[in-house]
Amino acid sequence: MNVVTNNKWIGQSTIRPDGVDKVTGRAAFAADTTMPGMIWGKVLRSPHPHARIRGIDTSKAEALPGVKAVVTAKDIVEFPVDKSVMLGIQDMRWMCRNVMAREKALFPGHPVAAVAATSEAIAAKACELIEVDYEVLPWSIEIEDAIKPDAPILHEFNTFEGKPSNIAGKMELKKGDVAEGFARAEVVVERTFTTRAVHQGYIEPHACLIGVGADGKTTIWSSSQGQFMVRAMTSLLTGIPQSDIRAIPAEIGGGFGGKTIVYLEPLATMLAKKSGRPVKMVMTREEVMRATGPTSASTSTVKIGATKDGKIVAAQGTFYLQAGAFPGSPIRGAAGCSFSPYDIPHVLSIGYDVLSNRSKVAAYRAPGAPIGAFAVECVLDELAEALKIDPLALRLKNAAKEGTKASHGPVYPRIGYVETVEAAMNSEHYKAPLGKLQGRGVASGFWFNAGGESSAQVNITEDGNVVVTTGHPDIGGSRAAIANVCAELLGIDYRRVSVIIGDTQTVGFSNLTGGSRVLFASAMVVTQATEQVIATLCKRAAKIWEIDPEAVTWEEGAARPAGANAGKFPPLTLKELADKAPALGGPVGASVQLNTQGAEGGFGTHVCDVEVDVDLGIVRVVRYTAVQDVGRAVHPGYVEGQLQGGVGQGIGWALSEEYIYNKDGKVDNPGFLDYRMPVCSDLPMIDTILVEVPNPKHPQGVKGVGEVPLVPVMAAVANAVHNALGKRFYALPMSPPKVLEALEVAQAAE
Amino acid sequence: MYATTYHRPSSVEEAASLFTKGTDARYLAGGHTLIPVMKQRLAAPSDVIDLAKIPSLVGIDVSADAVTIKGATTYYDIANNAQVRKVISALSNLTSTIGDPAVRYRGTIGGSIANNDPAADLPAAVVALNASVTTNKRSIAADDFFKGLFSTALDDGEIITAVTFPIPAQAAYAKFPHPASRFALTGVFVAKTKAGDVRAAVTGASQNGVMRVAAIEQALKANWSPSALDNLRIPDDGLTADIHGSAAYRANLIKVMAQRAVTAAS
Repeated sequence: MNVVTNNKWIGQSTIRPDGVDKVTGRAAFAADTTMPGMIWGKVLRSPHPHARIRGIDTSKAEALPGVKAVVTAKDIVEFPVDKSVMLGIQDMRWMCRNVMAREKALFPGHPVAAVAATSEAIAAKACELIEVDYEVLPWSIEIEDAIKPDAPILHEFNTFEGKPSNIAGKMELKKGDVAEGFARAEVVVERTFTTRAVHQGYIEPHACLIGVGADGKTTIWSSSQGQFMVRAMTSLLTGIPQSDIRAIPAEIGGGFGGKTIVYLEPLATMLAKKSGRPVKMVMTREEVMRATGPTSASTSTVKIGATKDGKIVAAQGTFYLQAGAFPGSPIRGAAGCSFSPYDIPHVLSIGYDVLSNRSKVAAYRAPGAPIGAFAVECVLDELAEALKIDPLALRLKNAAKEGTKASHGPVYPRIGYVETVEAAMNSEHYKAPLGKLQGRGVASGFWFNAGGESSAQVNITEDGNVVVTTGHPDIGGSRAAIANVCAELLGIDYRRVSVIIGDTQTVGFSNLTGGSRVLFASAMVVTQATEQVIATLCKRAAKIWEIDPEAVTWEEGAARPAGANAGKFPPLTLKELADKAPALGGPVGASVQLNTQGAEGGFGTHVCDVEVDVDLGIVRVVRYTAVQDVGRAVHPGYVEGQLQGGVGQGIGWALSEEYIYNKDGKVDNPGFLDYRMPVCSDLPMIDTILVEVPNPKHPQGVKGVGEVPLVPVMAAVANAVHNALGKRFYALPMSPPKVLEALEVAQAAE
Repeated sequence: MYATTYHRPSSVEEAASLFTKGTDARYLAGGHTLIPVMKQRLAAPSDVIDLAKIPSLVGIDVSADAVTIKGATTYYDIANNAQVRKVISALSNLTSTIGDPAVRYRGTIGGSIANNDPAADLPAAVVALNASVTTNKRSIAADDFFKGLFSTALDDGEIITAVTFPIPAQAAYAKFPHPASRFALTGVFVAKTKAGDVRAAVTGASQNGVMRVAAIEQALKANWSPSALDNLRIPDDGLTADIHGSAAYRANLIKVMAQRAVTAAS
């Protein structure tokens, strides 16, 4: 490990390189791009939750003046349903049917055709002229309906326990023997919880601009969390080889996991190919809400048993998560993360992936983990109450540590969970008195974090500055943090390091921005590349001085003679060595590509205070502190921002956000007026406590930080509401009408 | 949006004359309803006649007994008028909570009440304060002006030139805003006149728009105090039920908001 303690830039909240452009409006998002001859694409979407497509007649649309191309499923590469083709966590069998309905339309909003025309209005008109012959089928929206024996089956080929079913998968994690564990328990709490589907809520809708040359060379500007993912999926779905697709990452207006798959790119590519014109497509908010993301709704049952001294002896969880129309809900996160903060001898955690006639779920910040944590952390709160133990003390007593075998498999190395609980207990917040109708709740959470493929180039410019190119779209501050890392290693001012995100044809493969991998992975490759650059610079100084390269060190932005030669020659700065580069072997730069290993999971513990307006049932979060083991805060401002953003999203999930379906199986609130994300005025200032237990497997000690802060939030809020009212809510969101009704029921019972 | 002809008349007379010439003319005030509706291609007026820049339609006069606000005066101007705040602070407070700053710079009193959105705030003030609406043709009492969802007593082409609010003894408005739009999920305006009469107007709760609630008025006339409403049960018949709240929730909101308004007014 190479954690430098006396840092100049690592640990500083340096000015973010994208800040000025974003504040002044100069930043180019996908919807800002234009090309000569550009036309507009629009998608025709199914109005039905479930319908067989008997035929599509596009002739009237094609005849409309201004229409340049129409595509349907025939134009998209088909992946047969009986053979899985995986790309990352996505199965192309489902992707090819999600971007364009094939045999059946499976949710309202499912694309059935797309049109490109000289204006958006003509494209929209042409969509109306497409005649689709639907055989409308019965449908189901909610989990409990979809798993009934007589439920309408979405995919006839999908079977569970030998019968056609909407259960698309089951995952079981086992440690010890829960029956034996519960037999020893003196107190057992078992509860069932439900959460509603919520959208990632990125402000920028999906957008792309795609040109296909006469030679098949394709250029894509799009909003995504991975230009390489866009290239690979577009290649698979259109048949164009990856070498012919240049996917350029635009600035991204939020993703939160929701932009880890494609929706528009394959359609726009085929429209561009057919029409010979560049095609731009921009979703409306309504399309975003109806046809992209969200994350799963869920039903979870959690049972935890402990002895009277507060030692947890057994835990069991069953998590049903909605997948939407195609398999792939995040059961791994729900079943795999929920018990991970604790050292429990006997654990059984089961996840079920449930299909229903909703849009296919997409990743959302620690996918599945907040759902599981909501159930587990609320049960722990009840357990603490039953045992008359402080809820943080209960967590501390059962905390996972170095050497604990996690319920999801691994044996932990040095982790910082205990430190998060202690910091929460010792915080001024946890000791502060509460006001009238206020309550306090706590909860913890875990997320796996990830490493994986990452590439970077570090090039010294002719004038002695630095350009770093990495391959992961920057959503959470990776450019600013990378500048800190590179400047630290080179011993130069961070403003001399320009960090850019390369496109697919200019930088090596880099896995998409997800799993909280980016700074972990890219700091690792940038560190190696920078070290190679420093080695080259030292060699060149040695050549000039005619001494051994080993006798040269790099300090404070310059090569210096060391050892026996120390002080013999004046230092050679980066600028001087760049100036001499042509004569000393040419340009200085390095490129490193790795499949990075050693990502460690992250833990957080949150403290939440709420105040309830009992006349109206309104819950307001009045104070919030998020404590997290962040490994190493390379750019603390961004790390705090990640924690605050995660908490804001969790408060929305807890109190106000939900997909509301009407009796026709359609989303009734597909816009931000009716789908209630919290805004600044709904939230208090969110305090953070950054605990730094460095990751021993990373040169800067980095752990992923972006996803953990969403995991504990809903439970922390629910536990606070219970503390305020003595009334526990098992169903989210705890919206005013629901809270008022519960209060009235409680009052009537008295 | 379909093509239209935009006019910016300099007088009420010119505006009215332009209206009669258009095949399907519409007046534009703040534009918060008309423009989105045109963008969604749900309306395609031949002529759009902008009233917001007519000098005689902008301004506020405060006399000993009344506040007169010209038709195209913006929410921002009403909210920030010191004289209005002094004599009817409830009106200042109400206008300062409409939408957001961008909305308040653009939206006008005439536009709001002519549109009569069932969740708009100003109709509650107009009714509770027993205001009179002056047009280019006549004067209309508040109780006769609002005719249910998006409809009013205005004739085709008639222009609201001013609204006159008698200065009350006490008044306040309490609303439960829709958290995203800031429209009233339910808002209650209570006013006690100098003669001791009480009026209470509710917006946002009924599909028919603003309404008076006799039970509240009677209870408050007998006892101008929030506790006077403690045992009141507002029936939920005819109240709006939607994804934001049931009729029963809105019925409770009427009571609670009325109590909070009385508290604020006292």
